[in-house]
Amino acid sequence: MPYVGVTLAGVQIFFLTLNNFVTSPFRVFGGADPSGALHVARLSDGSGLNPLLQYYEMVIHPPILYLGYTGFTVPFAFAMAALLGRYPGEKWIHITRRWTMVAWCFQTVGILLGAHWAYAVLGWGGYWAWDPVENAALLPWITGTAFLHSVMMQEKRGMMKVWNVWLVFVTFMLCILGTSLTRTGVVSSVHAFAESSIGSWFFTFLGVVFLVCLAAWWKNRDYLRSDNQLDSLVSRESSFLFNNLILLAACFAVLWGTLFPVLSEAVTGNKISVGPPFFNRVNVPIALFLLFLTGVGPLLAWRKTSYDALRRNFAWPLVGGIAAGVLALALGFRDFYPLVCLILSVFVTLTILAEFYRGGRVIASRDGTNILTAVGELTMRNTRRYGGYVIHFGMVLIFIGISGSAFNQDQQKEMSVGDALSLGPYTILCQNFDQPSTANYTSDRATLEVFRDGKSQMMLYPEHRTYLASQVSETIVAVESTPLRDLYVVYAGHSPETGRPVIHAYLNPLVKWIWFGGIVVVLGTGLAMFPNRSSALVLRTATEKTWGENRSPQAATASAPFLQRTGHD
Amino acid sequence: MISRASTRGRSGALLAAPVVLVLALSPFLGAQQTDRAKRLGQRMMCVCGCNQILTACNHVGCTYSHGMLKELDGRIARGDSDEVILQSFVQEYGPTVVVDPPKTGFTGLVWLVPIVAPLLALYLVWELVRRWRQRATPAPAAEPSLPRELLDRARREAGPQTDE
Repeated sequence: MPYVGVTLAGVQIFFLTLNNFVTSPFRVFGGADPSGALHVARLSDGSGLNPLLQYYEMVIHPPILYLGYTGFTVPFAFAMAALLGRYPGEKWIHITRRWTMVAWCFQTVGILLGAHWAYAVLGWGGYWAWDPVENAALLPWITGTAFLHSVMMQEKRGMMKVWNVWLVFVTFMLCILGTSLTRTGVVSSVHAFAESSIGSWFFTFLGVVFLVCLAAWWKNRDYLRSDNQLDSLVSRESSFLFNNLILLAACFAVLWGTLFPVLSEAVTGNKISVGPPFFNRVNVPIALFLLFLTGVGPLLAWRKTSYDALRRNFAWPLVGGIAAGVLALALGFRDFYPLVCLILSVFVTLTILAEFYRGGRVIASRDGTNILTAVGELTMRNTRRYGGYVIHFGMVLIFIGISGSAFNQDQQKEMSVGDALSLGPYTILCQNFDQPSTANYTSDRATLEVFRDGKSQMMLYPEHRTYLASQVSETIVAVESTPLRDLYVVYAGHSPETGRPVIHAYLNPLVKWIWFGGIVVVLGTGLAMFPNRSSALVLRTATEKTWGENRSPQAATASAPFLQRTGHD
Repeated sequence: MISRASTRGRSGALLAAPVVLVLALSPFLGAQQTDRAKRLGQRMMCVCGCNQILTACNHVGCTYSHGMLKELDGRIARGDSDEVILQSFVQEYGPTVVVDPPKTGFTGLVWLVPIVAPLLALYLVWELVRRWRQRATPAPAAEPSLPRELLDRARREAGPQTDE
């Protein structure tokens, strides 16, 4: 596909031009004096790395997110090439499926590492602030997720070809937009350290990419006609359609809220803030509906689902979800969204477990193995499908973790040695304050003893560091993390009035579920990319076949069933 | 072969999962009530450029948040109403200090569009599905393949034996 190389080279040329001629990373700091001579700003050892970035996750968060952003260039290049070259069939999708999944996985991990960094370093007690740069990373992730689902419609039924091509185009353009939001400072963000004056380059490139995409689609749109039509509203196809609609609605809402301050300033002359409450109000219902579809979609049949199949697949998960809701209400849950999230999480988990169990039971009864072996066998025979379920389960864990934020508690107090602060079941006793220092920073550190039910549980050491080279301060949070809750303690500084240290403690339930859910998502993605066991047999059989004529007819008959791929989605 | 008893056991384990989850969350049900300052602080942004809620901004060395929170405490102590406090902050720090954009005028669009756009998209999908289904319905043949007289005779003979 020569167009693939051309597209990739085009993108590469743009970024190499920026790096070499516009904003070189090796630029010399300094300026010209009145005589025109260049004065280089000399610092013996520089200002050091931004203190906010002096954290071990920062070594891997940027490159991993970068791999996510850049990885989406490959499916974009293949989609563009397929369109320009009018290549028949869905070959470009088969070729790029693993590329898309790898890019999506890196984007997921990059976002979660960024969230964990914000949680552990910024010290405000949360992990997601709907900061424009956070949103910029989320946008291509959302459209990439939509593409990974809708692409199955094209593979199985030859439908949604225009949609898929545009989803890949939009995902790539959102990657460029995300990079430009991070680097240009169009919107105010905590990531302002990455700003430079290259906005016009990025927005020009974005415009060119959009025009090329539009022209390519317009010229070759007749090549993208669907092979099939939707047969029923209760079908896998329609669930993918709604899943895509919901994902795109979420993407649009995030993009709209992120860019609205810029739009408002351009139209009215007044810049406004669009803060986290807007994003939460708009996106939480959308996300919950998406969670519902996560449970429903995979269990619907292609083309049409019968009433009996619906009853068989959904009755018990639905009962389980409702039972969890009733139990939660009886125990005093009154927050609407966490309650709905709990019901849906249980529902989705039970549908996934039931799906593994049903398939495993068939294999177990046929092969006479135990259910766990059978489930393993089932999974390896269709890694894409069951890997997908594992990813869905990981997402459920992440949703549960996020819903825990509805029950966050916090307390702030000026403390001296001997003072105590109570938060939930914990009492935090201040034991000592000291000032350790290294060659890199000086620090104010608190030594806190944590009691629960009168018993000493742990020691925590939150710090407030000042970095010597840059004279910038930051907090080092002390977190005691358990699956049920995080005790998160910040040395918030000194009171300007009394000069006493201020300790801010948070009790954040279920945060660990988010990180664990992320690990499950990564494992599920790895599983989904693993070749099916039956495919290996197909290869082996094919190899045996090409080896010679000396195979007996019986052997050929025995291996015949393996020639049929059993994998499906 | 799987025995009924073991199936019941697994079903029981599956149904126990939500119970465990609910019990895990139950210690947090008695979450503390936020005071008025905290509630109002969550309706404002810190104006230092960190793009964070006022009560969440704890950047060491932030030259705004501490003063703003003190000012907030002072106004609450003075007995000002929520709206008066918010307006005074808007006067002092500009409209970016308010977390939620006003729901009137041009800024009302920020709230309206995310509701209207998905509804419009839903309508478009619905229309798309309707068209697909229409196209999927086979079109009736233009001309009967049998002579009309033969068809009429067949209808007459079959009529008494078939329901409408």
